Amino acid sequence: MSSNELFIEPNLKQITVWSRGVIMNKDARDVVVALTEAASKEGKYVQAWENYVDLPDRINVPVRAYARISSDPIASRYVYENEAPDIVVVLEETLVKGVPVLKGIKPGSTLVVNTRRSIDTILKFLGDTGNLGQIATVDASSMAEAVVTLSGSEGATDATGIGAGIAAPIAGAVARVTGIVDVENLARVVKNPAAMRRGYEEVQVRKLEVRPVAKESQTTAKELLRQMPFAGTVPSPQEENEGMVTGNWRMKRPILNTEACTQCWTCWIYCPDSCIKKGEDGPLFNLKYCKGCGLCATVCPTGAITEVPELDFED
Amino acid sequence: MGKVKNISGCVAVANGVRLADVDVICSYPIRPYTGIMSELARMVADGELDAEFVHGEGEHAQLSVVYGASAAGARVFTGSSGVGVTYAFEVYSPISGERLPVQMAIADRTLDPPGDFGSEHTDAECCRDQGWIQGWASTPQEALDNTLIFYRVGEDPRVLLPQFACLDGYFVSHILGPVDIPEPEQVKEFLPPYKNHHVLDPRNPQIIGPQIEPAMGPPLQYQRYQVLKNVFKVLEEACDDFARIFGRRYDPYMEEYCTGDAEVVIFGQGAHMETAKAVVKRLRNLGEKVGAVRLRTFRPFPTEQVKERLSRFKAVGVLDNSTNFGISGGGGVLLSEVRTALYDFGDKVKTVGFVAGLGGEVVTHDEFYRMFQKLQEIAKTGKVEKTAYWLPFEL
Repeated sequence: MSSNELFIEPNLKQITVWSRGVIMNKDARDVVVALTEAASKEGKYVQAWENYVDLPDRINVPVRAYARISSDPIASRYVYENEAPDIVVVLEETLVKGVPVLKGIKPGSTLVVNTRRSIDTILKFLGDTGNLGQIATVDASSMAEAVVTLSGSEGATDATGIGAGIAAPIAGAVARVTGIVDVENLARVVKNPAAMRRGYEEVQVRKLEVRPVAKESQTTAKELLRQMPFAGTVPSPQEENEGMVTGNWRMKRPILNTEACTQCWTCWIYCPDSCIKKGEDGPLFNLKYCKGCGLCATVCPTGAITEVPELDFED
Repeated sequence: MGKVKNISGCVAVANGVRLADVDVICSYPIRPYTGIMSELARMVADGELDAEFVHGEGEHAQLSVVYGASAAGARVFTGSSGVGVTYAFEVYSPISGERLPVQMAIADRTLDPPGDFGSEHTDAECCRDQGWIQGWASTPQEALDNTLIFYRVGEDPRVLLPQFACLDGYFVSHILGPVDIPEPEQVKEFLPPYKNHHVLDPRNPQIIGPQIEPAMGPPLQYQRYQVLKNVFKVLEEACDDFARIFGRRYDPYMEEYCTGDAEVVIFGQGAHMETAKAVVKRLRNLGEKVGAVRLRTFRPFPTEQVKERLSRFKAVGVLDNSTNFGISGGGGVLLSEVRTALYDFGDKVKTVGFVAGLGGEVVTHDEFYRMFQKLQEIAKTGKVEKTAYWLPFEL
């Protein structure tokens, strides 16, 4: 018997919620807390936590929150990530583009996306869905508003309560399409049960064919040791940092109207990430690193820059 | 051969630093190491040494200044005592982890309370697990020589590690003794110029000590664990070269005194072991088969050598000049480490701990005499009734 088989936890369900730093990381945490609190009421063993390596105090950075629910005591409690999610939730639609939200999912798993776009549109951005068994969409942002607060961050008590924002309809949608918890138990733990029930009712779902996926090879500790530079010292990036590509923080893309641009270069001065270069017809945006903060559009004196939702572009 | 002069350990260390031709020194006063910096300041002022002499606003700053200077390619020196050593604690691990061969002299001083200038090894031993090379001198001569040997070992490309060059406060730092001060030409032959693997340079920017994810932790720490093992070979080479060039031979690991046919020995480090040797000499005149083993290299702990050399005695008394409150066995760190090294021999070698000289009190001839009596009793009866004795109360 391999040790993988020895330590398997057949009744353990893993839920990973993807979201964005500051603007909706409280809602990501609320989804996992609401689901685990409801599961607790059903006598399940649970744990909820936020990714410790992500940077939740940075606006728009992709962040993750996790839940584990099991009918047995959870043996693998001290981990950083859910290595094989059964349920993936995407709280902000742009995350389906350029972020590996389906990484490691179990065969037949469920994806729930907060979007008003069609399932087909979302599938187009996901590419090969591999092990995914069903996809669901719910327009949670039209049913509630994200609660922006740092209360409850870093493991502290959340004084604002659980499930007042978009977490409520999302949790309802998850309960509906996966049956992971009973909707009545969920109603007892969220602050906005009406929004939760709307999510439960209005979620749309489509079954998918599970396709075989190539197993990802993991870098072994010995390989890391071989690659390790002397004392961990690395050359300092001077123009672009390959270790910190920030283009996937962006929800809206800056688009230039060259006719309105006077080439005053105010945007070039203000871009906090030096993502603007001077082109012949005006600013050129480096989309590999542009976080979509929108400062360029705000400071443009002629309104030549507009912010367009990232999912309106296929590239 | 250079000139023999009667000087203190502080002045001896300062001469070692001068001869090593360091580039940057950072000071902050605290007894008893202060004399080293006073002497170095004089040398710089009088033009005997061309170095940047920076006065820090505290020990944390001292270590931070030499940390940066070493990363920029300078040979650096700093030092401290007692609570000064512990105040700088945060900076020790980054310096060794980033493989910067900083040298720091520690002239031991008892940690507070009470306010006490006297020597205890506790201050320096607190830093034992920070990845530095560490060892004690027991005379001013050895203090000077260790300064040179430690730079040589620490800066070796196979090692690149910082060094705590320790000496007992007052006993070694303040009592004058004969020191053969080498000639600069000899030192040039022994100690090549410092050249690090990575040097801070604006033309070739690097990140040293970057933020990592947990998965990078094991390989990084394993690198640090492995490199300490390289110290032994490099230290042996350095001691051989030192003997050839300067005519003084040091055992890289431990000095043995009258151990040839000894049945019991006292094992320890630093100044008090000189007293132990004087006691051994008297007891030998009475025909007692006693000896002394003085550890010179405490980090990395020479486990194999200790195991091999101590296994031939019937009983080993381990002298700890430190307070390790609550430690297993009730002795000190040295006792714990010696017992671990000798564990495989089971009951063959009896070990017992002696904690003495606390607060800088003298460890008297009579106290060593009582320790040897206890060891002979253990060798005879084969019974260790108590793991450790606190002197003078328990023995």
